[in-house]
Amino acid sequence: MIRPIRRRLLLAVAGFGTLAAASILLAPLAGSTSIDLRRAFDTSLPFVENVDAQIFFVARLPRTLAGALVGAALAAAGVVFQGLLRNPLATPFTLGVSAGAALGAMLVITSGWTFGWAGLPAIPIASFAGSVGAVTIVYALARARHGGLSTNVLLLAGVTLNAFFSALILFVQFFADYADLYRMLRWLVGDLDVASYQPILTAVPLLAVAFGVFAWLARPLNLLSLGVDGAETHGIDVRRAQRAAFFSASLATGAAVSIAGPIGFVGIIIPHLVRLIVGADHRVVLPSAALFGAAFLVGCDVLARTLMPPVEVPVGVITAILGGPFFLWLLVRRA
Amino acid sequence: MSRRPPAAGRRPLGAVVACAIAIGVIAAQDRPARIISLIPAVTEMLFAIGAGERVVAVSSFDDYPPQVRQLERVGALLDPDLERILALKPDLVVVYASQSDLQRQLGRAGVPTYIYKHAGLAGVVTTLRDLGARTGHQEGAARAIQEIERGMEDVRRRVAGRPKPRTMLVFGREALAIRGVYASGGVGFLHEMLVAAGGENLFADVPREAIQATSELILARAPDVILELRAGEIPQSQLQDEIDTWRRLASLPAVRSNRIYFITDPRTVVPGPRVAQGTELIARALHPEAFR
Amino acid sequence: MLRAADVEFAYGQTAVLRGVSLAVPTGGFAGILGPNGSGKTTMLKVLSGTLKPSKGVVSVDGVDVSRTARHTLARRMAVVPQETHLAFDYTVLEVVLMGRYPHLGTFEVEGPADIAIARDALAATGTSRFEDRLFATLSGGEKQRVIIAAALAQVAGAAAGGGAYLLLDEPTAALDLAYQLEVSALLRTLQQRRPITIVVSTHDLNFAAGVCRSLVLLSEGRVLAAGDTGDVLTPANIRALYGVEADVRTHDGAGHLVVVPIARVPAAGEG
Repeated sequence: MIRPIRRRLLLAVAGFGTLAAASILLAPLAGSTSIDLRRAFDTSLPFVENVDAQIFFVARLPRTLAGALVGAALAAAGVVFQGLLRNPLATPFTLGVSAGAALGAMLVITSGWTFGWAGLPAIPIASFAGSVGAVTIVYALARARHGGLSTNVLLLAGVTLNAFFSALILFVQFFADYADLYRMLRWLVGDLDVASYQPILTAVPLLAVAFGVFAWLARPLNLLSLGVDGAETHGIDVRRAQRAAFFSASLATGAAVSIAGPIGFVGIIIPHLVRLIVGADHRVVLPSAALFGAAFLVGCDVLARTLMPPVEVPVGVITAILGGPFFLWLLVRRA
Repeated sequence: MSRRPPAAGRRPLGAVVACAIAIGVIAAQDRPARIISLIPAVTEMLFAIGAGERVVAVSSFDDYPPQVRQLERVGALLDPDLERILALKPDLVVVYASQSDLQRQLGRAGVPTYIYKHAGLAGVVTTLRDLGARTGHQEGAARAIQEIERGMEDVRRRVAGRPKPRTMLVFGREALAIRGVYASGGVGFLHEMLVAAGGENLFADVPREAIQATSELILARAPDVILELRAGEIPQSQLQDEIDTWRRLASLPAVRSNRIYFITDPRTVVPGPRVAQGTELIARALHPEAFR
Repeated sequence: MLRAADVEFAYGQTAVLRGVSLAVPTGGFAGILGPNGSGKTTMLKVLSGTLKPSKGVVSVDGVDVSRTARHTLARRMAVVPQETHLAFDYTVLEVVLMGRYPHLGTFEVEGPADIAIARDALAATGTSRFEDRLFATLSGGEKQRVIIAAALAQVAGAAAGGGAYLLLDEPTAALDLAYQLEVSALLRTLQQRRPITIVVSTHDLNFAAGVCRSLVLLSEGRVLAAGDTGDVLTPANIRALYGVEADVRTHDGAGHLVVVPIARVPAAGEG
C-alpha cells in the first residue's frame, strides 16, 4: 500500500532537504586552496586582513548559495516545463529561454558595453532581458490561435526560436574578435563564481515569485498530465494554469541563467531521478526536485573547483559529463 | 644585388639582356611589391622595417600606423576574404599558422605566403628578421630589432635590483564584476614583458599563456599589484567603478595598498615593434620611482 | 435535469452546432448519436461547459453552466474522455484521487474520506486490485474503467444528493469487443447503485441501443430526432442519419434492440 501523500511529502522534503542543507554547509569547506576554518571564523581579526575568511565568505559561500539557487531553479523549472509540455524530455531550455539569454549576453560581450544598473553588471542584465524577449516572442507565436495555448504550437515556437536565435548567435560570434569569442564560449558553459552576494540578492525575489507560483501549480500540473480534455473537466482553468506554468518556469530559468550562464542537464536529470524515487505526483516532485537540484549543482560545483586545481573545470562540463550517460541510460530504459 | 661588371671580351648582347632580366626577376621575387597582412602585429612590423609602402591591404582589426586606415580590409583570423585577397593580386600574404584552409587556397592560386606563428618576445625578433629577409628590408629589420633591444635593455636597467612585486596581469574581465578574469600565465609575450618590466608573475607556475582566475585563487595568491590591460579608453567615472569592483576582494595587498592599474595603450598587447614601449609602460606602473 | 436550449457553436467560421436542444431527466441515460462530423463530441464539450456556445444556454438543474464556477460544476459533473494518455507514471489510485481535486482547497490535500471514496469507486468499477499499479501498465479496457472510477470519485458527493452527471465521449471507440461489453455492463449497473445521470456520445448504434434509454440523433449539427430509444432508433431515422439501409430488431439473447446494417443507400445522382 502506498503511503498517503502528506507523509510522502514530509519524508521527501525531510530527505532531500537534509541533502541540500548538508551540501550547502559542507561545500564551502572544500576548495582548491586549504584554509584554516578557525581562522576564517575568528572575529578578532579584521575582515580585510583575514585571507581565510575572505576565501570562505567572498569566494566560496556566495558561489555555494548561487549554486543552490540556480540548481533549485533549473530543476524545478524543468519539472514545470515537462508538465506543461506533457513531455518528460522537455528541459528548461526547450522553449528558447536560454537562447534569448545567450543572445543578450553575446551582444553585450561583443559590443563592449559596460553599463551597470542597481549594482548589477551588464551581462546578467542583458541575458535576463534576452530571455524576456525570447519568452515574449514564443508566447505571442503560441497564442496566435484561439487565445488558447496549444502545447504543440508552443513546442514548435520554442524550437523554432531556438534555431533562429542560435543562428543569430553564430552570426554574432562570427564577427566577434578572438578575445570576445573566447569569453562568449566560456559564458556558455556556465560559471558559478559570483564573488558577491549582489546577484544572489537580486535573483531571490524573482525566484521567490516563481517558486510561489510553482507551489500553486502542483495540482494543476497533475491534471494537465491527463491531457487538456481531461484537465478541463476537473475544474481548473487550463489556460490560466498553462500561462502560469510557462511564465513562472521561464522566470526561474531566466534568473538562473543570468546568474550563472546556461548550465545544462540539471533541468532534465533531476526531474527524472526524483520521479524515479518519489513517483509522479507534482506536489512531491516539485519541492523534491528543487532541493535535490540545489544539492546536485552545489556538488557539481565542488567537483568543478577541486578536480584540477588551480584550473577550474566549468561546472556545465561536469553536469554534462554526469548527465550525458545518465540521459542515454534513461532512453535505453524507456525503450 | 649588384651587377657583375661585364667580363673582358665581346659578349652577345642577347645573353646580357637575358641575364639582366633573370636577375631582375629574381630580385623582384625578393622584393614583393604587393603585401597583404592579416596580423596587426605583422603590419606594424612591415611598416617599421620600411616595407610599409608595399602593403596594399590589412586585417579588419588593424589600427597602426595611421596609414593603414586608408588601406583595404580583407577580414582577419576567422573570416579572411579570399576573393578580395586574390582580387588585389598580392605577391605576399602573411597569414596565421592556424589558417590552414586559407594557406591551401592561396597555395593553389600560386600566391606566396608567410606563416606567422604567435610566440614570445623572442618570436617578435625572429619574425622581424624573417620579414626583413622576405621583403628585402634586412637593414630596416635590423634597425627595428636594435630599437627593441635598446628599449628593453633600458627598462631592465632601470628596474634592476628593485623588489619585484607579485603582479597579476589581467587582460580580460567581465565589466564591473570579478568574473571571467583572464590573467597571463607563465608563458608568452605578456609574461615576458612583465618579467622584463621588473614584476613577478602571480601565475608564473602555470605553463600556459592564459589562466581563468577564480576569486578563490586570486585571494589565495594575494597579488601585490593588479595590472589590467584594456583595449579602448575607459571614461573616468567608470574607471573608479572598475577599481572599486576589485575591492570585493578586500584582503588583496593590491587592494589595500591601492596598486590597481589600468593600461589602455595598445602597445602593451601587440607583440610587434613597439613591445619595448609597452614594456616600459608596464614598468612605469610597477616601479614609478625608477622613471623619475 | 441537464438541458440544452438552442445551442449554436462554431469553430472559427465553421458552424458545428446549429441550434441543438435536448433534455436529459435526472437519473436518465441518454445517448447522442451521429456520424463523424455531426458535432457529437462538440456537443458533449458544450454540455460540460468546456466550450461556450455562441448562442443558447446549457443548464444543469436550472442553473446556467456558463455562470457556474468551474470547480463547482466539476463537483457534480465529470467527463470521461475517449482515451487517456498520461504523460507521467501515475498509479491508478493517484489517477482516481485526481477526481477529488475539485473538492480540495488550494493547498488542501486528500484526506482519509477522499481515499475511501476513491477506493469505493475502484470497487464499483471492479478495478480495486489495480490500486498500486502504474496506470500505463493496464490494458485499454482496464484504463477506461479506472477513468470511469475517477469520474465517479469526482461526483461522489453530488451522487448522494441525486444530482451527479457523468458524460462519456465515445466510451467504447478504442476498446476491444470484450471490453466494450464490460463497459456497457458497468454503465448499466452504475445507475442501479447510485442516482447519476449519464450521457454518452457515440457512433456505435448497438452500444447505444444496449445502454441508452433515450437518444438524440445529430445530423450536421442539427437534431434529427430525439426521444426514447425504441421510438428513435428506426430504419427510417438510420437511413436519414447514416445513408444506410438497416434492420432494427430486438435480440432476445442481448435483451435490447440491435441494428444490422444491410446496404448503403445510394445518394441522389449516384448510379
